[in-house]
Amino acid sequence: MARQPNVRLNLSNRPENVLLVRETLTGVAEAIGLDGTDLNDVRTAVTEACNNVVLHAYEGREGSLEVEVHIAPRALEVTVRDRGVGIGHAATSEDAPGIGLPVIEALSHEVEFREPEEGGTEVRMEFATASAGGMESPAQNGLEVPVFAETGHATTATISIAPTLLARAVVPRMLCALAARAHFSTDRISDSQMVADALVAHAGDSFRGDYLSMAVSVEPRDLELRVGPLITGRAERLVDDSDVEGLGRVLEKLADSHDVTHMDSHDTLTLQLLDPR
Amino acid sequence: MLFARWQQHGERAAREALVQRFMPLARSLARRYDRSSEPYEDLLQVAALGLLKAMDRFDTARGPSFASFAIPTILGEMRRYFRDSGWSLHVPRGDKERALKVRDAQEAFANEHGHAPTVSQLSQYLELEDEQVIDALLAIQAYESLSLDAPRPGAEDEALTYGDSVGEDDARYELIELDATVVAVLDQVPQRERQILRMRFVEGLTQTQIAGRVGISQMQVSRVLRRSLDQLRSLTQDTGEAQ
Repeated sequence: MARQPNVRLNLSNRPENVLLVRETLTGVAEAIGLDGTDLNDVRTAVTEACNNVVLHAYEGREGSLEVEVHIAPRALEVTVRDRGVGIGHAATSEDAPGIGLPVIEALSHEVEFREPEEGGTEVRMEFATASAGGMESPAQNGLEVPVFAETGHATTATISIAPTLLARAVVPRMLCALAARAHFSTDRISDSQMVADALVAHAGDSFRGDYLSMAVSVEPRDLELRVGPLITGRAERLVDDSDVEGLGRVLEKLADSHDVTHMDSHDTLTLQLLDPR
Repeated sequence: MLFARWQQHGERAAREALVQRFMPLARSLARRYDRSSEPYEDLLQVAALGLLKAMDRFDTARGPSFASFAIPTILGEMRRYFRDSGWSLHVPRGDKERALKVRDAQEAFANEHGHAPTVSQLSQYLELEDEQVIDALLAIQAYESLSLDAPRPGAEDEALTYGDSVGEDDARYELIELDATVVAVLDQVPQRERQILRMRFVEGLTQTQIAGRVGISQMQVSRVLRRSLDQLRSLTQDTGEAQ
């Protein structure tokens, strides 16, 4: 059975992106009721694997950091993937050479290292999570790599997530961390969370496939979300659906601008939040 | 061989030499947990204890390297410590105290500067990691002690909950109230929540401006907005299905 991840994060190997991975794991833990000690183990081991990518996979160059989370009954599986120089780098760590791997081994139930044909290294960690509930697995038609409209902004993070129940816990948390990185005030950070709430609440049947996906660009005091792939015609409806009688269209009021791009087979909804102060 | 000198002959000097050599390892492991609610010094002590245990138990004839034996032993010691100190409870006390500190610092900053702080301003002021501040911002929405009806600190004399303090603004909303559909949906949330929603979405005030008017923290405003919108959505979705 081909297993589809519940979460996929596409990031670059910049050190500040490890925080996004940690926040994602915290959101997952919240959604499945994982206790604090288990979460701490998962976060520590995954942080270790990510730091390996940040520090060693690309020998100082920019490269991709890809993280997948798969939620199974009583087990959590996290895969950290790079397209870098290969498995040799995994044995070293910044502050104490050679302790990255033993830490991952000590904290995970099972760990597997692979060198995929496309190059790079893949670390798959499995954690026993007796304390936590499971989560429905996305359907088999699978996770396409989402394609978003180009806006000229470099993408900081791309997230794909299913089911909605999980997105409810993870997406507002992710946007909180990304808004913090954009130097937003706590006002606008909260607004960003409300944008996430609204998107998740009305995602329902708007997305093509099972996943809610978005690409986020972070620039100083400027956060841009490209949401998709949306079924043709559903992007406008997503904004309309956020209407609360007497308050207006919540998404429109929270974002400084929104824009719909019609592409060949789907739509992208672009929302821009600013915090000029 | 230092291990033999310590394990077989009990030589203190050999033990100290080993501690010196492997303390960086213990320190490095303790640092991996220092975003948790426990103070770093306590974590370091637990890690050092784990290191001593590993030094006693390490079998030089069998193991590959001491580090690969010591790491799981030290991490095991730290996990036991987290379990024993109740860290795995849903809301650890340290986290809650920190969340309240973040809320207070946020309020103080907003009062002084007239606008809300950024996460890095808060983390610098409180000497915390950005991640800890972000987690506090998210956690604070879950705490019951921040209930809307709780009097604000120092406000006891006036005996006002903020519900009272927004009452005087009612008149300005009368026109909006005339629309019957508005009454139908928005009336489903209590009056004060409704007023905060309107300040944000109809008047276009920032959360900090609302906080100032109403006399609660911006984080409480955030919580009210998110929760009320959630309630309204579930209401409209229910009625939508019924039609």
